[in-house]
Parts: sequence; structure tokens; C-alpha cells
Amino acid sequence: MPDTVVVVGAGLTGLACAASLPGRIRPVVVDRIPVPGGVHGWDTDETRSAEAAARSRGAILHLGETATRWDGEELLVMGQDGVRRIPARALVVAAGSRPLGRAELGLAGPRPAGILAATVACHLSETGLLAGRRPAVVGGGDWAARAVAELLHAGAEHIQVVTPDGVLRRFPESPALTVRTATPVAVEGGPRVSALRLQGGERVECDALVLAHGLVPLRNVDGAVWEGARTVYAQPADDPATVSAARQAGAAAAAEVEQMLDAA
Amino acid sequence: MSGDGAFDVVIVGGGVVGCAIARRLSFTTARVAVVEAAHDVGEGASKGNTGIATCGADCTPGTLEAELVTRSAPGWEALCASLDTPWERIGTLCVALTEDDEAALGHLVEQARANGCEAELVSGDRARELEPLVTGSARAAVHIPADGIVDSLRLTIGYAELAARNGVRFFLSSPVTGFEVDGERVTAVHTATGTISAGFVVNAAGVGAGQVSALAGGEPFRCWPRQGQYWLLDRELGGRFRKVVGGVPNERTRGIYCVPTTNRSLLLGPTADDREDPDDRAVSRDVLEHVLEAARRLVPAIRREHAIKTFAANRPASDTTYRLEADGWRPNLIHAAGIRSTGVSGSPAIAEQVHELLAEAGAPVLDEHPRALAALEPLPRLLHHPRPEELFAADRRYGQVVCACEQVTAAEIAGAFAMALPPRSVDGLRKRTRATGGRCQGAVCLAGVSFLCSLHTATAPWLLAQSEPTATLGVGPADA
Repeated sequence: MPDTVVVVGAGLTGLACAASLPGRIRPVVVDRIPVPGGVHGWDTDETRSAEAAARSRGAILHLGETATRWDGEELLVMGQDGVRRIPARALVVAAGSRPLGRAELGLAGPRPAGILAATVACHLSETGLLAGRRPAVVGGGDWAARAVAELLHAGAEHIQVVTPDGVLRRFPESPALTVRTATPVAVEGGPRVSALRLQGGERVECDALVLAHGLVPLRNVDGAVWEGARTVYAQPADDPATVSAARQAGAAAAAEVEQMLDAA
Repeated sequence: MSGDGAFDVVIVGGGVVGCAIARRLSFTTARVAVVEAAHDVGEGASKGNTGIATCGADCTPGTLEAELVTRSAPGWEALCASLDTPWERIGTLCVALTEDDEAALGHLVEQARANGCEAELVSGDRARELEPLVTGSARAAVHIPADGIVDSLRLTIGYAELAARNGVRFFLSSPVTGFEVDGERVTAVHTATGTISAGFVVNAAGVGAGQVSALAGGEPFRCWPRQGQYWLLDRELGGRFRKVVGGVPNERTRGIYCVPTTNRSLLLGPTADDREDPDDRAVSRDVLEHVLEAARRLVPAIRREHAIKTFAANRPASDTTYRLEADGWRPNLIHAAGIRSTGVSGSPAIAEQVHELLAEAGAPVLDEHPRALAALEPLPRLLHHPRPEELFAADRRYGQVVCACEQVTAAEIAGAFAMALPPRSVDGLRKRTRATGGRCQGAVCLAGVSFLCSLHTATAPWLLAQSEPTATLGVGPADA
């Protein structure tokens, strides 16, 4: 029986990691979403080829199941078919990333409704909810670009983008979009958000606030949040990873696992 | 609200104190109602506090506060077990960092002993044995082993839920607008949603208690908000804590604490700043920096990267503390007011005291309710559960983890909506289950959680309330 290594996250990084592990390892990939691909999307050529590569390496995929606890020897996974305990020599966390939250951005002020992470704003927009007619978006990276596109598609009339570091990527061309570089310091409003206050005192009036700046690795498995026994993190710092960065991060994590097992 | 009948006792305020009183009265045959201004119980100071259930060691000896807090302390384990509320008696270390601090420790020990509480003066080395995270520059400490930590949201909801199951009526989103008076007695309570006739009224309105007394024509007293700001830090750090770690309390405030929570997160706070507006819950950068610095002086391992949330809450300050008495002008108005910062810690005995005051005033609260439930059926949680297989065997929805950070499953969410006092907002669900309350603050799960809320409440997602009814998640349906 070969040694098992569990990879949490069936995005391009996790699949690339599974495909790159050495032949003496049996890769098991777990993802809470019932399809592979992660933020890259399941219906793409890159995802299909990454999945095929992982499967041809002998990877077993448990999709639609949530990894919850890792104790260095066994991963506890909850799924609609029951509880799975997967004994493994190592855990690879390839769970992607999210934008900074309100506390992480250091935004002062009250806690009105209508302040949403870009991940949530995208998800809600895709499923038929208009987060705001005149939303403000904090951030200028890929999450911001995605959120802007989804908000416009859902029916937002005007979007004000505030990018703290001047980074701007692939925004849709639209007269309904205003972009500026400034540091947000506080929110105002109640019961729903009414404005974002910028350094220097200027206010950006808005009826929703989407937080899309920066990236924090998503770490949801107890025992594998910062350090963690026999744990390797495959969460590249790009915003979000390009296809090639994902492949590189997956391969690097696989090499790190191999080194770790050789040393043990 | 017409047709709701008359109540023997109407409790104004659904915070931890009002709900504790409601539970106590629900063991009697009295007809009891709670009126609450907010959309849910536990929306004021009861949802923004440290979660320390102090044994009373640092209360001023001889005060009613000291008496009721120390009287409450031994019963916590049994009470929380009956209310499906997480609780642990982990003890507090009050750490002296300066010569002045060290000089004050002796007084702290004397005070604790005068209150009948165990307290031990320990060296800095011994303090670090008890809690290895304590700073190497600790000069000495006082260890108070009987202090506990409690999930104060679940405590308030547990009190209220048991009361509701025993027949207490809750009128939410019903701020008090006035009182009907006949002679010197109050006879009815006017609220924004209707009028309720009342044999007796209990004033447990927290920050609003002075105003409620004034509206009822009772004795004047003043309450105002004392704001506290807090950090919530990740479970991966909080889980390493063995003790509550604080500094040395002074006359005005108990200072900044590092408090492991019952779900292993870590709270830092509170500050103490008097305010005017009870709805002002804004955090400020400078104040939060001060909290973080104070906490890091006690426990250097604390880092800003551990932060997952900051928040502010207002506890009631007042010109008299622990005003537990019948009003001098309105004999059927019983005050449970001025409960400054020990509302959670004193709530069990405060409820007993108010029960006695009602009985003395002639309220029909002496006959036992023959079929009253003594305890809630626990709703098991996946987080830290030793045998998840058993949970899944009992209910397959435990296999569906909705909030990954806090490991909240569809079974727990369904359980919350099946309560006698179900959530009416995403926040209400968070208070009952912790869904969206973890390290990603809903960045992964808020959409999924809100869809489940929509399903359970038959509300369109954009109309779903994040907190109060007008604090909606969205502004409308997306363009088709």
C-alpha cells in the first residue's frame, strides 16, 4: 500500500500538486465544491487537463466534501455520504485565497449591512442578488475586476473603485465605472452602509461596499492554519494565481512534500 | 398585539439580565412577556462583552454586586449544561508588569478573600507555568482559579429559549414608547407594535433603563453607554491559552484582558469610554491600537495577523449600580438596572433576586409551573466533537459543512431555525451557531449561509436582514 498524501483544494494548484507527486505516493484530493477547478472554474480546458493529469497519476478525488481537522496523521473529512478519516503522511493546503476582511484592512466605524467580501459579492450576484446600485469596491486586483464585472452584470448603475495601492487589472470598459487611488480608513452608515471614508477626509457615497483588496490564504482546516505537523502550503501570493503560477505552486508543493517524507 | 391577553409580569429588555429573569419566572405559573426593542434578544451589551463569568474576586466587598456575583458562581456548570451553553472554569491570571502593579496585588488577594473567593499570589515563574504565554517580564500575578468563560450569546439565547419553551411570550422589534398608569401603579406597556397590559413591570432595559423609568413615571436615574472596543483573534492562537490573562484592575476599570473563548478564539478588550449615543458602535484605529499594545504587553505571542474581527459594544454605566428594587413611586415597577459590567456573571442570582422582589411586591410568582422544562435539549455541534460519525448517523445534514471556519453544518442551521426563538437575521444565526463568525468572516460562506436563511425563512435573499430588518443583504434582485 503506497503512502497517501492529501491535497485540500481541487483548483489548478491542488490538481497540479497531485499530478506532480512521485509515483510511490497515492494522492487524494478533497474539495468542498462538488466540481474541480476552484476559482478558475470547472468548465475550462485548463481544469479538464489538470484533472486528467492528476487522475492519470492515480489521484482519488473526493469532491463536495469538507476537510475539517488534521492531526499530523489523519484528516477528518465531512461529506453528504458520511465521515471520512484519511490516514496520510502529509497534508497539502491548496485552498486558494480571499481578499482582506474589514479588520485586516483596519477600517474603522460602525458595522452596517451591505459590506461584503468580493467572494460573496460575486457569488450573490451570480445567483440573482443585486448587492448595491451604487456600490464602492476597495481594491484593484483580479478580485476587484471580477466583482466589478459581476456587479455591472447584476444591474449596478455606478461603481466607484478605490484602489489602495494603485494596482489595476483588467477592468471592464464602462462609463459606469470611476477608479481612483486612495486609502480607505472608515465606513459610515446604518442600517446599511452609506459611505466609505478615505484618508484625507473625502467620502465616497455608496449603498454597498465590496472588499476586494489584497489576498489572504484561506485556511479552514484545524491543525493546518499557520504551522501544522507534516503540512505544506501551496497558496501562491498572486491575485489569484495565473494558470502557470498555479502549476508552479503545485509542483513546488509536491517537491516540498517529497523532501519532507525523505527527511522523515 | 391585540388579543395577546394580559400578563402578570412584563419584562422590558431582552438582554442577558431580562432573559435570565424570564427563565426564572417561566418556572412559575405567572403569565410573562418580554418586550425588546431590537429584532433579537441579546443585541446590546449581552452580545459585546468579554465572556468572562467572574467568580466575584474583584468585586468591591460588601456590595450587592459582590453578593450576587459570588452567589451565582458555584452554579455555572449546572446552569450552562441546562441551557446548552458552552462554559469552562479555566481561571484568571492578573499579571503585574510594573512595581505599582505588584504593590496592588496584595489588595487584590485581600479583596478576593473578603468576597470568599480563592486567590493565590504567585511569582512570575509560577504564572508562566500556569500560562506559558504570559510575558517573561511578568513580576508576579494573582491566580483566581474559579473564574470561568462562557459563550455569552448562547447564554442569553439559552435563557430566552428555555423561557419561550415554557410559555414566556417574546415581543421583538417592540421598543417601549410609554406606559399606562392608574393611580400609582403601571397597568400597561405601550410599544411600537402594540399595547400589553401588565400586572407588574420589570425594568431590565440596560442602557435604556433610566429612560424606561422616566416613561413609567418612576424614580429618576441616569444610565449611559460605556463603550468597549475589542479584537477577536484566531482559534489557532486562542486554542493555546489555558487561562484568562489580565492586568491589575484599578478603580475605574478592570483593564484589558486576553480571554480565550469557549470556541477557542481569543478576545482582547474591553476599553471603557463613556458615550452619549447607545447605538454608537464605531471602532476607532487609535483605541484598537491601544488594546493590541496592552494585550501584547501581557502576551507577546499575540500578533496583528491573528486578528479576524474588531467590534465595539456599549455596556450600561449608571449613577447607581445594581439598582435591584421596587420603584419608590411606582410600587409594581421593579428595577433590574445599573448592572454595569457584570450582567453575565451576576445574571443567575439577579434573576433570583428579582423573583423575590416580585413576590414581595405581590406578583403571582410563587406557584410552580407543573410542566416547566428545566433544561434544553442540546443541539450537538461538529466543531471539536469527538465522534462526528455519531452526529452523521443521527442526522445526515451533519455531513454538510456550510461555514468551513467554524465548521457549522446544515444540521446546526436547521436546528437554530427550529428553535422557539429562531434567528430573524444572518446575525441571529451567527449568534446561535457561529456561522460566518470565523476567521474568514463569511468571505467563503456568507452567500451559502444566506441562501439557507432564505430557505428557512421564506424570504427573498436581497430582503434578508443581516441584523435589523432594514439592514438588508442586498438592494434588490439582479437584472435578469
